[in-house]
Amino acid sequence: MISPVKIWRRQKDIGKLLGKKGKIITWTMIYVAGSEFKKFAPYPVAVIQLEEGKKITAPIVDYEKGDLRIGSEVKVILRKVREGDKEDVLVYGVKLKPI
Amino acid sequence: MVSLIGYYTTQFGELWDRSLSDLIKEAIFGVLRNTGLEKSQIDAIFFGNMLAGILENNLHSPSKIAEIMGVNIPIFRAESACASGGVAFHLAKNYLEANSNKTVLVIGAEKMTDYSPEETTSALASAASGEEQEAGLTFPGLYAMMANYYLEKYDSTEEDLAYVSYKNHYHGSLNEKAQFRKIVSVEQVLKSPYVAYPLKVLDCCAASDGASAVILTNHNAVKKKSKYSVNVLASEVATDTISLKERKRLDEVLATKFAADKAFLNSKINRKKINVAEVHDCFSIAEVLALEDLGFWKKGEGGKKTKELSTIHGSNGDLIVNTSGGLKAAGHPVGATGIKQIGEIYLQLTVQATNRQVKNARYGLAHNVGGSGGTAVVTILGV
Repeated sequence: MISPVKIWRRQKDIGKLLGKKGKIITWTMIYVAGSEFKKFAPYPVAVIQLEEGKKITAPIVDYEKGDLRIGSEVKVILRKVREGDKEDVLVYGVKLKPI
Repeated sequence: MVSLIGYYTTQFGELWDRSLSDLIKEAIFGVLRNTGLEKSQIDAIFFGNMLAGILENNLHSPSKIAEIMGVNIPIFRAESACASGGVAFHLAKNYLEANSNKTVLVIGAEKMTDYSPEETTSALASAASGEEQEAGLTFPGLYAMMANYYLEKYDSTEEDLAYVSYKNHYHGSLNEKAQFRKIVSVEQVLKSPYVAYPLKVLDCCAASDGASAVILTNHNAVKKKSKYSVNVLASEVATDTISLKERKRLDEVLATKFAADKAFLNSKINRKKINVAEVHDCFSIAEVLALEDLGFWKKGEGGKKTKELSTIHGSNGDLIVNTSGGLKAAGHPVGATGIKQIGEIYLQLTVQATNRQVKNARYGLAHNVGGSGGTAVVTILGV
C-alpha cells in the first residue's frame, strides 16, 4: 500500500524543481532492479547539479544513448514513478529529460 | 588493552537448510569451543545484523540470543547496514574499556537467501536515502555511479576493476569457508552481464547466509589462558551523508578517511607497518577506493595499482589484501562481514590461516563500510 500521506508530504517540494536545468555529474544504467522497479529495467539514473547549485538524484527518460554522458544537460520533468495496487494513489515524481 | 582471543565462522553461502538462529547458535558455540571458555564466562554480547527485521519480521534479537545460549546477560544489537558487524565490534571494545575484567562475545549474522533477488535488493535499498530509493537506485547502482565517475576522471577501465574480482576469487579458492571457491579469469569478469553499468555480475558480491563470532577480553586470567591472542590497537567509526549527491567528492569515501586517520593516530601504527588488510569490496570499485582512502595508495592510481596485483597472496607486495576472498568470493552476509574481516586478520596474525597464510604478518587492518559510505569502521590489530 502506497501511503497518500507520504506522497502529499513529498510533493510539496516537487513543484519547485520542475523545469529547472542541470548537468549530469554521474550516471548508471540499472539492469537488476528492486521489486517495485523491476518492470522498468534497464533504466538510467543520474546525479545532476542544477544551475542554481542544488543536486538531485533521479531517473533519466526520453533519452538516446549519446545523452548518457557526464556533463550532458537535462531538465527536470514530472512523471509517474510508481504504481501499487489498483486502489492505490498513483505516485508522480521527478525525472530528468535530456535537452 | 583489549585482546581478541578467539574466532569462529560458519560456512558462507546459500545455506538453505539453516535458519538465522541455527547460524547464530553454531557461531556462538563454535567460538566458545575454540577458546575453551564456558558460556558463564561471557559477560555481554554484541550482535550485528541488518535485515532480519525487514525480511523475516524478526526483531528483539537480544532475547532470542539469550534463549539460544541459555544466559541472562546484557545483549545488544547494532545496525549500520553492511557495517553492522564492525560497529558491534566497536561497541564491544568500548564496553570493555568502560568495564574492567570482563569478557564479551561479538557476533554478526545474516540470512539473505530465503528471498528472491528483488526482495533482497529492495531490503538492502532501505539503507539508501529516500530520494535514491524513489529514483530506483540499488546498491550496485550507487557504487556504479561512483565507478563511472572514477573511471572517467582517472582514465581507468572496467578491465582494471576486473582484477579485483580475479584476485579475490583466487583468495576465495584458498578459503574453505568461502561461498565461491572457483577461480574466475579477467575475461570472465568482463564478459559477465551488467548489473548496473559499469559494474557486472562478477564485479559484485552475492547475497549470502552466514555468521561469524569473536571473543574480546580485558580479563587478565582469561587472557593468560588463551592460546592465540592479538591486541586490538584501534577500532574507529566515522559517518557521512546518507545521500551520494551530498558527498564532497564522488571518487572517495570520506568516512573511510576519517575512521582510518583516527585509527592510525590512536594505535600509533604507521600505515607502512600493515601487512594484511581485509577491505570492504562489496563491488570491485569499492576495493580500489578503500585502498586509496585508507591511505595505502594515492588517489587516482588505484586502477593501475590493481592491475599490478601487488596485493595478491604469493606476490612480493608489502600489503596483502582480502585473503579471505573478500566480500566478493567469501560472500557477504551483511551483518557477519565486519566480524569475518576481523576474524581473518586474527587468523593471519596468529598464523592459523593455513594455505593462505601471509608470512611474518604482525599488523593487520579491517575496513567495513555501511551503505554507499554513510558509515565506515576501521579496526587495527597487532601481535
